[in-house]
Amino acid sequence: MVATLLGILAQIEQAPFVRPAIDWHAVAPELVLLAGGALVTVFDLIFMERGRKYIPTLTGLTFLAALVPVLTLWDNGIARSLFDGAYITDRYALVLKALFLLSGYVIVLMSTNYMAEGDYYDSEYYQLISASILGMLVMASSRDLIGIFVALELISIPAYLMAAWRKRDLKSNEAGLKYMLMGVFASAIMLYGMSLLYGLTGDTKLRSISSAIADQGTTPIITMAIIFVIIGFGFKVSAVPFHTWAPDTYEGAPTPLTAFLAVASKAAGFVALMNVVLYAFEFQPEIAEPFIWLLSAATMTVGNLIAIRQTNVVRLLAYSGVAQAGYMLAPLAVYEVNGIEASASAVVTYLVIYAAMNLGAFAVIMAAARRTRSGEIDSYRGMLNWAPGLTVLMTIFLFSLAGIPPFGGWFAKFEVFRVLLTGNTFSGVSLAVIAAVNSVVAAFYYLNIMKNMWFMDAPEGTDQSKLKIPSPLVAALAITLIVTLVTGTVLAGPLRNATDFLAF
Amino acid sequence: MSQLAMLAAETQEIATNFFFYTIAIVSVLSALKMVTTDNVVHSALWLLIVLASVAAVYVFLGAEFAAATQILVYIGAILVLLLFGVMLTRAQIGHEDDLNHPQPMQGLMVAVILFATMVYALADAFGTTRLDALSEQRVERTDAVADAIFSTYIVPFEAISVLLLAALIGAIVVARRD
Repeated sequence: MVATLLGILAQIEQAPFVRPAIDWHAVAPELVLLAGGALVTVFDLIFMERGRKYIPTLTGLTFLAALVPVLTLWDNGIARSLFDGAYITDRYALVLKALFLLSGYVIVLMSTNYMAEGDYYDSEYYQLISASILGMLVMASSRDLIGIFVALELISIPAYLMAAWRKRDLKSNEAGLKYMLMGVFASAIMLYGMSLLYGLTGDTKLRSISSAIADQGTTPIITMAIIFVIIGFGFKVSAVPFHTWAPDTYEGAPTPLTAFLAVASKAAGFVALMNVVLYAFEFQPEIAEPFIWLLSAATMTVGNLIAIRQTNVVRLLAYSGVAQAGYMLAPLAVYEVNGIEASASAVVTYLVIYAAMNLGAFAVIMAAARRTRSGEIDSYRGMLNWAPGLTVLMTIFLFSLAGIPPFGGWFAKFEVFRVLLTGNTFSGVSLAVIAAVNSVVAAFYYLNIMKNMWFMDAPEGTDQSKLKIPSPLVAALAITLIVTLVTGTVLAGPLRNATDFLAF
Repeated sequence: MSQLAMLAAETQEIATNFFFYTIAIVSVLSALKMVTTDNVVHSALWLLIVLASVAAVYVFLGAEFAAATQILVYIGAILVLLLFGVMLTRAQIGHEDDLNHPQPMQGLMVAVILFATMVYALADAFGTTRLDALSEQRVERTDAVADAIFSTYIVPFEAISVLLLAALIGAIVVARRD
């Protein structure tokens, strides 16, 4: 009896498990962040209330520590490929990882006082931020549908929860619920597209998908798969017509989290979109390009037209962020003529500069909200009297967002226009014209905020004493200001060289 | 002998087709019932039949592991959680007038257009593909799934563990009474 059983067992073929070779240096940033996040969680469990005030500092240090292996990898300069090309650490991924870690650090600085003063669950908030940033690091390197999907969920799910963090405020509950429902809906559509891609090619790696569908052209099934996947990412980057969640979520969520969603989360969505479109759909531009063209044109136009009518600064920045996403989509609509490297370079440049100037604007809003207690544009009247420094900073960030030299924003827009116009194609030139018109429209509402700050009198009864800004917020303002200034002037050239390195 | 084998194969195909179409019809009807019923608990129970039918289809495809996962995760965890959610919150159990969308025609239109597009695309791509009756190659090897999880997909696998921890922490914060 036993002998028979052993005989059967021996017949079952045992394929030996091969331990994958792991390049530990390549995954060091993720591991440092993972270890740091775990450390923060354990620290919180041990010290409870006594440790609360050290948690933001620890989280911030974790992000900075994770930057160290990013820098050593950059210095090393070799593109490292793990798991047969499913996970790649090249300079393209490293620029983005540095962007995510620095944005995370600035957001922690912005959150410090807001969370401590607002009676929120603050240490749990930082743990969730770390988890979300970890998802972004994974996203930057993933060249595989499963990796991209898991990273996207790791970014989004903590964000859904954090949007509802102000539990006793109905607006925050609404923000979290709307964001979650729309996000889950988008994930479902995207997953359906991904499952079609897998069914067609039998592989999840983007490069393999690209070569498998290269000669199949534009059959209905490929068209549907590509459009579903792009729609899914369209929700994440709040492209029109999938942007309806953005304003309500941005207004209801805690302000530092709004900055997180508008900058880091959106950048991660763009990275996912870029990876999939440029890697997997490289040979299907006749489907992807017109669709992205439409999304881009609609996003910048609708975003700007609605932004003009806003009276709340946070909602205004939300819609202006929608419009900015339109400019960022534009280079992806012409990737065939210019080559995928040029498009990727323009988008990454825009993402870096956009992160700095938008985070800066949010930091100013948070500093000002300590006095005004509201986000209405009217409450910014006469800000020159009680916060001259903030007024100047806000002016710089808004000039940059409007694309006025010498601040970073002009260079970001310049790169987009350069890519759009190089090929001299109808679609590129027409999109450039639409973008130019939209830039002028956008300047109008940015200038309107400045008019209120510089030239209008403060309403009766406003406290005219000088505003004190807590030091973490000052640090956040300083970092964003420096990046906004140098990317538009001395570092514009080096930044282009750095992003031109992006070898695909 | 060969005639007998052919006959056996044919009988098997007829049997497979018969069961497949039965399951397909049951699943489609339950899905329709699920969205039209005005009782949350009934809706959940109709969903159970839909999910179980999908598991049955996996069995036909020789993917027992996927079928078992489908039952464990969707029926065993998600559906039970849904019913617990209905019971533990103050949601109304039983007939509810405003459970359905006030404008069913819009939803129907979107559904029909999407369905037509999908049928067209799928029929165009796979309409002539025929799956052989259950054969050795179609049987999915569960150990291959395990190997893939711990080699190629190790990074997403680890990322999911962080995701679960974060979701747990966040859910407790949002749900706890304070």
